[in-house]
Amino acid sequence: MASALTPAALTLDNVGYAYLGRTVLDRIDLTLAPGEVVALVGPSGCGKSTLAHIAAGVLEPRHGHLERSYRRHGMVFQEARLMPWATTRENIAYPLRLAGVSRRDRAARAEAAAARVALDIRDLDKYPAELSGGMMQRAAIARALVAEPDFVYFDEPFTALDVALKRRMQNLVIEASRALHFGALFITHDLSEAVRVAHRIAVMDLHGRGIVGDRLLPGMPGDRDEATVYTLAAALAKDPAFRHIHDVDERRLP
Amino acid sequence: MRLTARLGARLGHVGAFVWSGWAGISGLALFAAVWQAGHEVYGNFILSAPAATVGAAATILTEADNLALIWDTVRRAAQGFVLAAAVGIVGGLGAGYSAATMRLVRPILTVLLGVPPIAWIVLAMIWFGGSDGTVITTVVVAATPLIFVSVAEGVMTRDRKLDDMATAFGAGPLARLTTLGLRHVLAFLFPALTVALGSAMKVAVMAELLANTGGIGGALAMARANLDVTMALAWVLVAVGGLIVLEYLLVHPVRAEFERWRNASRPWGVKR
Ligand SMILES: Nc1ncnc2c1ncn2[C@@H]1O[C@H](COP(=O)(O)OP(=O)(O)OP(=O)(O)O)[C@@H](O)[C@H]1O
Ligand SMILES: [Mg+2]
Repeated sequence: MASALTPAALTLDNVGYAYLGRTVLDRIDLTLAPGEVVALVGPSGCGKSTLAHIAAGVLEPRHGHLERSYRRHGMVFQEARLMPWATTRENIAYPLRLAGVSRRDRAARAEAAAARVALDIRDLDKYPAELSGGMMQRAAIARALVAEPDFVYFDEPFTALDVALKRRMQNLVIEASRALHFGALFITHDLSEAVRVAHRIAVMDLHGRGIVGDRLLPGMPGDRDEATVYTLAAALAKDPAFRHIHDVDERRLP
Repeated sequence: MRLTARLGARLGHVGAFVWSGWAGISGLALFAAVWQAGHEVYGNFILSAPAATVGAAATILTEADNLALIWDTVRRAAQGFVLAAAVGIVGGLGAGYSAATMRLVRPILTVLLGVPPIAWIVLAMIWFGGSDGTVITTVVVAATPLIFVSVAEGVMTRDRKLDDMATAFGAGPLARLTTLGLRHVLAFLFPALTVALGSAMKVAVMAELLANTGGIGGALAMARANLDVTMALAWVLVAVGGLIVLEYLLVHPVRAEFERWRNASRPWGVKR
């Protein structure tokens, strides 16, 4: 997938960030090839969201620099972040509104994006308060895809969902990524989710001090069956580079 | 097909709105009953009968001279209100988005709010004499701080995560202001505007009465000079009636339209 000739879709070079003087990210180097889906894993609080916000242009890096050579990106946040006063349709169409697309085209394209994430057309007139958690997250995914981006940031989009819905959403992302040919930075702290959706997994340091390692996964996302996913995730969990995420997950058990 | 459906929905809104008016009408009927009782106890000289007062108010409304007086008051109140809204909204947005401005303005606001309205009327009379300026200035001074504070509070309580979301989708500061900031501020602005509109009318009448510059206030002063209770009450009725008409015909329907989504999180849901 990564070739020496095509420029990288996203390059982070020695990126650092500090909140009010407290360093949360330091010396982050990461390169994504066009169309490549990279899962970024790391324990809670290590700075994954901060990194995604920097890469998506919400935050300015304090050190280093980044280069985006994709055309346009979308983003799914850790929470749905829908506008409470707007209907689901208007929420999904919001990036188009920002891009100056006409009202009529917006509605049609929002409906197409909603169909892609299996949102019923009748739900599009509802307000976010009338949607279930899963529907809100699907609306957020539809919003990220509506402007046909060639790169998407996913920031732990399915953490709040139950196992079955999570699985459906993961398949949905894999299919959309194939159909629309977008690359993605998919943040998660669930190793089997990372194994399911990504071409490659990168691990972040416990304190955001760099990317401590990355592993290329065999096969293509979507082609790996349950047994493969299970074996790969189990093998990764024993990998020294992944040890610290495993620790945190253990600690989380009741 | 779509049009008829939309028309139907719109009529539905109006119907729901009229229906909700019944409670208001019952309240008014009760008020009239108490008024009538007071009239029967104290007699015509102290408190004229509600029916007679309504009759007098109706007569007032049929005379062109009186309509001109009413128009004077409404025009002054409206001018002051629009000016206050403009200053309050622009200033409030500025203060809300810039913490430094807010820190600078807050003490000034505290001082301004501490000055009683009557003092402003005196000052305005000295500055502008018996002209429109006196009334308009008083209205502006009385109505601006509330609008200002509400807008600033709206801006400061906005959801910054939505702002970040918009930035991630490529929105600049102006797009964020128009698509998110203003929309959120509306929820704070509408109640403030309703209150400000009411106080604009009231302050205008008061300023007219004290500065002797005609309008409804002038007519009230005249009624007082003649010790004509019926006339005084009738003018009060006209002023209050005008305000109610304005509020229910303009402010409430517009607000209901913008606040429809709030019903989504209430047990009865959104009326569609
Ligand atoms: N707005 C903020 N102000 C100050 N500190 C912040 C802010 N946002 C995040 N932090 C801090 O930065 C660090 C990294 O936070 P971040 O949200 O990037 O972690 P994360 O890896 O996404 O965690 P999680 O997996 O729980 O989402 C944390 O220690 C957090 O306390
Ligand atoms: Mg996070």
